[in-house]
Amino acid sequence: MNTIEETIEVAVPVRTAYNQWTQFKSFPRFMSTVKRVEQIRPAVTEWVIAFGPVRRTFQAEIVHQRPDSSLAWQSLQRRPSHRGEVSFRPTTPDRARITVRLEVHRRGVAALLTGASSKVTRRVLRDELGRFKEFIEGLGQESGAWRGSIHNGHVQPTEPEPPRSRVARWPVG
Amino acid sequence: MKKAPRHEPDERLSATPPKKWAAGVPAVTHALEYSLEETTVRRTATTLLTMNQVAGIDCPGCAWADPAPGHRHRNEYCENGAKHINDEATARRVTADFFRGHSVSELGRRSDLWLNQQGRLTAPMVKRPDADHYEPISWHDALGLLSAELTSLDSPDEAVFYTSGRASNESAFVLQLFARAFGTNNLPDCSNMCHESSGFALHETLGTGKGTVSLDDMHQADLIFLVGQNPGTNHPRQLSALERAKLNGGRVIAVNTLPEAGLLRFKNPQRVRGVIGPGTRIADRFLQIRSGGDLALFQSLNRLLLEAEDARPGTVLDHDFIRSSTSGFEEFSRHVRAIAWDDILAATGLTRQEIEQVRDEVLGSKRIIVCWAMGVTQHRHGVPTIREIVNFLMLRGNLGRAGAGACPVRGHSNVQGDRTMGIWEQMPDSFLDALQREFGFDPPRAHGLDSVNSIRAMREGRIKVFVSLAGNFVRAAPDTAVTEEAMRRCRLTAHISTKLNRSHTVCGRTALILPTLGRTERDIQPSGEQFVTVENSMSEVHTSYGRLDPASKLLLSEVAILCRLARHTLGGKAGIPWDRFEADYGAIRHHISRIVPGFHDFNRRVARPGGIRLPNPVNEGVFATATGKALFTRNAWDMLRAPEGHLLLQTLRSHDQWNTIPYTDNDRYRGIHGRRRVVLVNPSDMAQLGLLKGQFVDLVGVWTDGVERRAEDFEVVPYPTTRGCAATYYPETNVLVPLDSVAEISNQPTSKGVVVRLEARATADGLPRS
Repeated sequence: MNTIEETIEVAVPVRTAYNQWTQFKSFPRFMSTVKRVEQIRPAVTEWVIAFGPVRRTFQAEIVHQRPDSSLAWQSLQRRPSHRGEVSFRPTTPDRARITVRLEVHRRGVAALLTGASSKVTRRVLRDELGRFKEFIEGLGQESGAWRGSIHNGHVQPTEPEPPRSRVARWPVG
Repeated sequence: MKKAPRHEPDERLSATPPKKWAAGVPAVTHALEYSLEETTVRRTATTLLTMNQVAGIDCPGCAWADPAPGHRHRNEYCENGAKHINDEATARRVTADFFRGHSVSELGRRSDLWLNQQGRLTAPMVKRPDADHYEPISWHDALGLLSAELTSLDSPDEAVFYTSGRASNESAFVLQLFARAFGTNNLPDCSNMCHESSGFALHETLGTGKGTVSLDDMHQADLIFLVGQNPGTNHPRQLSALERAKLNGGRVIAVNTLPEAGLLRFKNPQRVRGVIGPGTRIADRFLQIRSGGDLALFQSLNRLLLEAEDARPGTVLDHDFIRSSTSGFEEFSRHVRAIAWDDILAATGLTRQEIEQVRDEVLGSKRIIVCWAMGVTQHRHGVPTIREIVNFLMLRGNLGRAGAGACPVRGHSNVQGDRTMGIWEQMPDSFLDALQREFGFDPPRAHGLDSVNSIRAMREGRIKVFVSLAGNFVRAAPDTAVTEEAMRRCRLTAHISTKLNRSHTVCGRTALILPTLGRTERDIQPSGEQFVTVENSMSEVHTSYGRLDPASKLLLSEVAILCRLARHTLGGKAGIPWDRFEADYGAIRHHISRIVPGFHDFNRRVARPGGIRLPNPVNEGVFATATGKALFTRNAWDMLRAPEGHLLLQTLRSHDQWNTIPYTDNDRYRGIHGRRRVVLVNPSDMAQLGLLKGQFVDLVGVWTDGVERRAEDFEVVPYPTTRGCAATYYPETNVLVPLDSVAEISNQPTSKGVVVRLEARATADGLPRS
């Protein structure tokens, strides 16, 4: 297990930075290793990542999520190949510090990120965070937001009837 | 390709030891053998290679979900799906000549097997009052006749409109729209007889009527319970998901009265280890439970979990989830702790050690799924059992989380979708209001009749017209003698069907056979070639495109038949554009998108590969219950009992059977060949009851109304069923299920836990026949 931690400061309010981070589908717009993200449920995402000739697909579960504060996830294999946490702290009203902490096994999906060594992973992570900074500072405002919370993988929405829950609910025989 | 049989097959039983594994190479050979008996190599190749593919034919068989596009196998079907689809794609034809040669009375004496094997219906037929033969009739006259009968009724509530799970979303939507515009909510469906208990229990406790898991969840689970279901025969593609879960390190606990082959081991014919290797063990633990003991089992597990929490506070229960998302925990906790071990052991027939071993598995698992089917729902306490399963899942937060949840496994491809489209006699006002806004008519608000109540009303002469969209109602329904009498009391019965079945022979004074396109067939309408949509058991809505030329040029699609009937019956009333619906199914989907929640932008979204994945509110953190939270429930302990000298009987399918239709007289996995009228009895019960292997008996039902219900001439087969519990095939034994024997709350017929005695059949010399 390797633990890698990278921090970056962005020149937007913490709420803006956090909100943008919840827009997983937009990650391929600015992260070079992320090719596609599907939000299956609020707490489950599917990622296609590529590094050089290697391409991997995996699902991740968001285990904890607190608005404007932190988000922790793990890959959805029986033995998770990686887990991570991103935290958001305001440094001033207009700036925020983002810290990503990644714990990776040397096998499975994480091997793509780790490559041969944690040094490579660290560099990839640093570069991707730099791209996030460039993206959100360039936009100046978030492209969307999900403000719910997640606790132990259970979603707690902010509104009583979020749009995705508006489906047929009558009994099905 | 073989011709249709002229004679009934000889019923001579050959019994071999039950199989200990399912699928493998024999599954492939049997599927191809049956397919090539029915149709040509070319049609077989077309059906099989497009089946369950993106832009292909959705298997009309079970409702198990397909893997995501890009992850499907070239042969994405199972043995039974292949048999089912080529049973429809058969080259055999039932023509007007056939009906000239066979009277209705004669057809009424034929077996389900023989009727099905005659092939596809090709032209509309009518049986006039007092006639004993069907005769040809034009579509115009047939629909005119039906429409005239409908409009002559004193009240629209004198008609019922039944739907089977084969109907597409589009035809189901049109049917319910027609029925409501006509003025009735009498919309019974086959769900009333299969998973009605699941819908009621889940809706009450979780605020959703559907299962909460996806195929990915199955793969990610640590522990999967299979309760009262037989995936090897009834949902064989589930075995691939279970195999993947096992290869990921997950474990499986099977709870059943029979050690079914598919619960034990799966030899995946698409993997080397399944062809020449040992395959994959499915159940790590098999609990051979007493019939109906599942409620007590889950109550005992819940009690054990509470006690484990007492011993190690804060380590067993998901307190955060219980506190934030549920209500009723304290009352439930007090109730379940008071259930006595003696009662639990008596109801389950298990040992305390067996149950405690399961508890340990549960404590070692973070992600748990419970799957169930008819072995749970068709008991009188089916609803309380499923509510107790929900309690079990909630205790450790196994709901609304990846790799965890509730999974009712449905057995007919669009049974879930038909309900979503409004085929229900109790649709909520929100749906009816939406219909009213969209089409400008006032839908009836009084609840209509479900299947059991429809039979009661027909028997009492309150129903005059019975219309069936697909299905074989007479054979699917309980209490065969009562159902048949009820059906015969109707003035007119009309069946929209692909193949001949007994419901065409047990009919009203006037009867119509309205032959329709199968799902395998190209459906060309004025706007071009059409596709239909279906919703699987995991709430994925996707397309199905017919690929074969229709069995007859005279066939109309289900949608076309219903739209024409609506035009005949309603004229321009309500301003519903039936013409446009028939010409372009996209127009139907457009209206669905405006009426059914979750179907916005339906036409565009469903055209994407894989279609639409409908969210489940539970996975969004929403519990649309009375309290706004998931509900813990208190369920009274219950136990099925059979008096001395009696057994608890369950009816089930054979492996070579699709719902009410047997394909052959064989049941390969259970080692039964050549005969369906068999009763599987535990050898110890046989000894106690003085029964011999191969002895012939009548099964006599015991019920509170004092009516003798008898299923005659069954051969006794020693079988490792749970002690005190016997099994036999339906529909032959539906005669034993009293109409009034229904599940609490759901009104679902109880085809499990039927109390019977086995009476030896005497020969001419008075000796038992064996």
